Amino acid sequence: MRYKDMSKGLIILLGLAVIAAFTANFLLPKGIALVGQWDESQGVITARAKDDVVDDDLEIDDVEIAKQIYGSGEAVFVDARSREDYEEGHIKGAVSLPVGQFHDFIDAFKAQYSTASTIVTYCSGRTCDDSHKLARLFFEQGYTRVSVFIDGYPGWEAEGFPIE
Amino acid sequence: MAIRAGRQRAFRLNKRLKTFFENSWTELIARWILGITFIYASYHKIISPGDFAKIIYGYDLLPDGLINLIAIILPFVELFSGLALILGIYPLSAALIVNGMLLTFIIALSINLVRGHEFDCGCFSFGETGYTSSAVQLLVRDIMYFFLGLQVLFYDRCRRWCISQGR
Repeated sequence: MRYKDMSKGLIILLGLAVIAAFTANFLLPKGIALVGQWDESQGVITARAKDDVVDDDLEIDDVEIAKQIYGSGEAVFVDARSREDYEEGHIKGAVSLPVGQFHDFIDAFKAQYSTASTIVTYCSGRTCDDSHKLARLFFEQGYTRVSVFIDGYPGWEAEGFPIE
Repeated sequence: MAIRAGRQRAFRLNKRLKTFFENSWTELIARWILGITFIYASYHKIISPGDFAKIIYGYDLLPDGLINLIAIILPFVELFSGLALILGIYPLSAALIVNGMLLTFIIALSINLVRGHEFDCGCFSFGETGYTSSAVQLLVRDIMYFFLGLQVLFYDRCRRWCISQGR
């Protein structure tokens, strides 16, 4: 009797939990897809939430291409990481604009770089989506030429490219 | 003589412990601590499943195809079993589910501790970027919760404030 009751309870509790889980996921604005993108070789990892910031079309997924853009001198590299991480080491010449403090610093940034500037954002690699969040914020400010360098500072540093 | 006195002390201690664990208030407190903990733990995972999925990815233990499904379902299993423990609805089944989850967390934490893999546990809140809790502290905490679950699971008397006794 004890085990029969326990099995019944297990089925009811787990069944209700599963039904509620899929219903809530369907209704909540932050619901996620049934399968995410968890392969770092394919780009930045993401659960593919409804409010997902990751946009594959913006991604520069080759460090060499990022280096070419850097070498051309036409793009501003913008570091989305915290100020502490930036001070510990960043791509040489990159500007710090921590994604969490975007609105504190954007006016000063805009005064220096017009909305016609080419922007390349980066953070700490393919497990980090702060560079995508920053790119979205730039678009909201009227910037149109924005890309995301997805290997970020660790990928750049590993190649021995200029840092400071 | 000394052996006899020792045996008597052990017997009395054993009796006191038995009385403590068979006390219905002990069971109620254990059940409520577990219930509140699991409801609280489920909250941030439910409102932000994408962040929770990233935490699961960080554990580096599950196949990619299962990460989102676990992120969707697990918080509600925590919520429903927590509610069931507090309200006393199928308390045995709820305690079994909770201890199953705790055992899984203990194994996952131990594996990552042994292989020196740093991660954010995501138990009660999502850490800042790069934040890592001490795996040993988490392990000790989960083992304590696991023992509370055993108390609920093996308690076989009438439970206090239960909608269904589940016996």
